[in-house]
Amino acid sequence: MGNGLAGTTLRINLKTSVVRRLPTDEALFRRWHGGRGITAKLIYDEVPREADPLGPENIFIMNAGVMSGAFIPAGSKVSFGSVSPLTNGHGDSNMGGHLGPALKFAGYDLVVFENIAPRPVYLVIDDERVELRDASKFWGMKSLECEKALKDELGEDFEVATIGPAGENGVLFSCITHDFGRQAGRTGQGAVMGSKRLKAICVRGSKSLRVHDLPELRKQVTEIMLRTRKHPNMEPWQKYGTAFFIRWSNDNAVLPTYNFQTTHYEDTDKIDGDQLVTKLLVTHKACFGCWMNCGKYTKAVVPGKPAVYLEGPEYETGALCGANLGMKDIHHVAYINWLLDNLGMDSMSGGGVVAFGMECYERGLITEADLEGHALRWGEVDDVEHFLDMIAHRRGIGDWFAGGTKRAAQKIGKGSEKFAMQVKGQEMSGYDGRWAPGMLLSYMTADIGAHHNRSWTITVDMAEGRERIAGRAKIVIYLQHIRPLFDTWCICRLFWGELDITPEEIVESLNHITGWGVGVDECLRTSEMIWNLNRCHYLERNRANGRTFDYPPARSWEDKIPSGPGKGKGLTREQIEEMLDDYYDERGWDRRGNPTRALLEDLGLGDAADNLEKIGLLGEPLPGGIPKVRGEKYKPKAF
Amino acid sequence: MVIYLKAGSELRLKLNPDVDFYTRRVETEEGKTLREILKDIRLAPAFVAFAYSEGRIFSLDRAPRDGQSITLQPPVSGG
Repeated sequence: MGNGLAGTTLRINLKTSVVRRLPTDEALFRRWHGGRGITAKLIYDEVPREADPLGPENIFIMNAGVMSGAFIPAGSKVSFGSVSPLTNGHGDSNMGGHLGPALKFAGYDLVVFENIAPRPVYLVIDDERVELRDASKFWGMKSLECEKALKDELGEDFEVATIGPAGENGVLFSCITHDFGRQAGRTGQGAVMGSKRLKAICVRGSKSLRVHDLPELRKQVTEIMLRTRKHPNMEPWQKYGTAFFIRWSNDNAVLPTYNFQTTHYEDTDKIDGDQLVTKLLVTHKACFGCWMNCGKYTKAVVPGKPAVYLEGPEYETGALCGANLGMKDIHHVAYINWLLDNLGMDSMSGGGVVAFGMECYERGLITEADLEGHALRWGEVDDVEHFLDMIAHRRGIGDWFAGGTKRAAQKIGKGSEKFAMQVKGQEMSGYDGRWAPGMLLSYMTADIGAHHNRSWTITVDMAEGRERIAGRAKIVIYLQHIRPLFDTWCICRLFWGELDITPEEIVESLNHITGWGVGVDECLRTSEMIWNLNRCHYLERNRANGRTFDYPPARSWEDKIPSGPGKGKGLTREQIEEMLDDYYDERGWDRRGNPTRALLEDLGLGDAADNLEKIGLLGEPLPGGIPKVRGEKYKPKAF
Repeated sequence: MVIYLKAGSELRLKLNPDVDFYTRRVETEEGKTLREILKDIRLAPAFVAFAYSEGRIFSLDRAPRDGQSITLQPPVSGG
């Protein structure tokens, strides 16, 4: 009888090339559930607080949790984590495809990379064989080209993850690419990989994964498979993926347009999902163990450039590299998507950074003289291509933008911080929160900076009143606990969340796999523990009250939406302060945004409380004590 | 005439299915657009990302025919 774990953890010292094989610490997985939870715990315990995220003391973690590879629906994810160079706090990012399952099938649950290799290397895991190889001939290659070259060399059945030039050059929003289009995009994990001179990870596994109760798991998964095949939303999902939500976002005044200047894009019909399906689609694509196949493999043709193949653009990239850059042709959006993938940059942050550059150019804050003689105009794909190349290779002011919008704004000054659309250094996802207060609060308080996957509240904002801020904190906290569980378990949220599979059913699968016998409430408590540990870690590294870091850029309250159905809408600074007060109260933090001892001890994080106390950042005790339930009480079926 | 609206996830709760887990039978007048029909049943069209019928997108501004089955796709965040 198994427990969903493959049994072995690898500790790889890149400086010495020593590979240590250790029995996987089951208790560690039991308490932290894998994925981002494991990252949170390991980086908190092992990385010195003053360590440079791109230096030898940071560790780089890859793991596939306890559910990936277990032949459950969409059990395909692999999680990467480290101290983020983009946010200087906990960083994690995950991707689908096939790498996570391959790691488990090779016999490994967790790989921890330590130190920095003296020369470029890549890791090959082929069941028992684990070795670092010289990557000199691959260093400098672009991500997608490198993946193909490694598959050509090793064999098509190796699952390969690579970084591109951006990661090699320390662009802080660099991503990791796999399966010719899946990315672990957020928090700059590609930059950490590059700082360690680790060009690629290649895995082939041929073993079985043992689970706790295979007959029951098989029975449950079969039932879910039969049920979801008949689900009315399955076919549209399979056919269209997420790109079809661009029009909806535009109609409902949340589509970021021209660097979040407005939320209404006049050319939405040129970049919407139906354009993708009719003009670009080559075939549908699925991750391991998924029959939703929401991935869209496409071909983009831009006159004067080679035709390119890519996966996407899905919604986030379509929004941030489409309307946000003023693009008027779906081929151009896809081409920019491909450029970012191949250079190895997160297409969400990448879209945000380019949009910020375009607005700086429009305002005369940067000029052709800064851009090697090029312009940076809305809707001009050639301008974008040149600018991205400057960033990826850190040429000229490309070096400023390689640090993301926050750092670029600090260099440019002249009030540009106001429209650097980020929180904690990470660029906002594809939703404007000015008329969706819960969404803005989600960005403000997310543990990894502005990111939608921790909490997405647009439909809640719509249902409960878009002018209303009361009650937003509770729902945001609730979502910040339940949604990241998918990233701890290393399974895809889209399949489970959108096809009426309940949290109870997912936890039942988890128990069939692990034998843990846990309930949803315990899982939510684990998620809350992870969230609070990450908050403590952020405070310990950045040495100021948490509230200091939780503000969005001033555009969020100074500029009302100027056009479209949201015209005139927006929040005030006072409303933002009120939302933060509510959020801290509901979390059991003090009004400075610092976790209290009572809360941390309740979550089993007494050591973190001690650490905060030593640096004067422990929250003051709350007059009425901490709330018994933090956030909205669990409601079955809501994600 | 009668049409059948289907939805899952959070949108299902707003649709109030009465035929099966996902499906609601709606009696309506011929010529009414789907958008008008949704308003009639007090389901704000803003909660529908797009509609889908017979293998293709069905515009909210089109009128369904008698007996037509239409799936309502809820908006979701990107992956």
